[in-house]
Amino acid sequence: MLRHLLLSTLLIFSLSSCKVIWVPDYNAKLEDQIAKTAKANDKLYIDMLDAAPNKRDYDQYKEKYNDIEADINAIQLANEARNNNASFLVINKNLKEAFQEAKKYHKEKQVLSDGEIKSYQASLAGFWKPLFLAERGLKINSK
Amino acid sequence: MKFDIDETLSQMLEAMKGVAKENWKTIRGNANGFLQQRKGRLELLTSLRMANEIEEQFFVKRLKDEKKMLESELHSIAIVSKSIAQKAANAAIEVLQQAVSKMITL
Repeated sequence: MLRHLLLSTLLIFSLSSCKVIWVPDYNAKLEDQIAKTAKANDKLYIDMLDAAPNKRDYDQYKEKYNDIEADINAIQLANEARNNNASFLVINKNLKEAFQEAKKYHKEKQVLSDGEIKSYQASLAGFWKPLFLAERGLKINSK
Repeated sequence: MKFDIDETLSQMLEAMKGVAKENWKTIRGNANGFLQQRKGRLELLTSLRMANEIEEQFFVKRLKDEKKMLESELHSIAIVSKSIAQKAANAAIEVLQQAVSKMITL
């Protein structure tokens, strides 16, 4: 009888501690940070498109570029610190490389045309969306 | 450079279905969102190129971005699928745990 009770207790204990974990925990703060930085990135190009061509030189936007890049790095750091983060790191890497390429192109060319601004705005939005939806997809496990 | 937008989108949809597998119905909304965004983006890029507002080399680079974007989208879909599967698996474990507890207390 005692042996049966002991085994049952052990079974309950092992089942209660048996939870599968395949994805990182949802992080509301990170979701907010992703949404805000994606918005800042979009606004960079909205402002640029709104400016006269002679006011589109790289130096006018350097600070904004650097702020956004620092925020992307902070998001990457937060993802690196999580468990089960492999997919997040790929999404982050692709976003970072695309942003750096856009920044470098502007720096080298100094002034962007309307067409180039619209293209970068659309492409970078396409890199942000998977990151945002992935973080939001973790919410289901936080309820 | 010519390419078929609809054919490209159709191939991408198949790739997403392959990753999502049995969770396809649940993540279909996200996948459709990616595809609609892509369609708009490809139409924009094509129209800008045709109007000569962007150079050929720049256009080709943006098309190459689409490959990387697809990779990100597939990883995003994989995360959401795993997240759904994790919730389902843990719910099943909880049911088992409750059943065992009930049986023992009888």
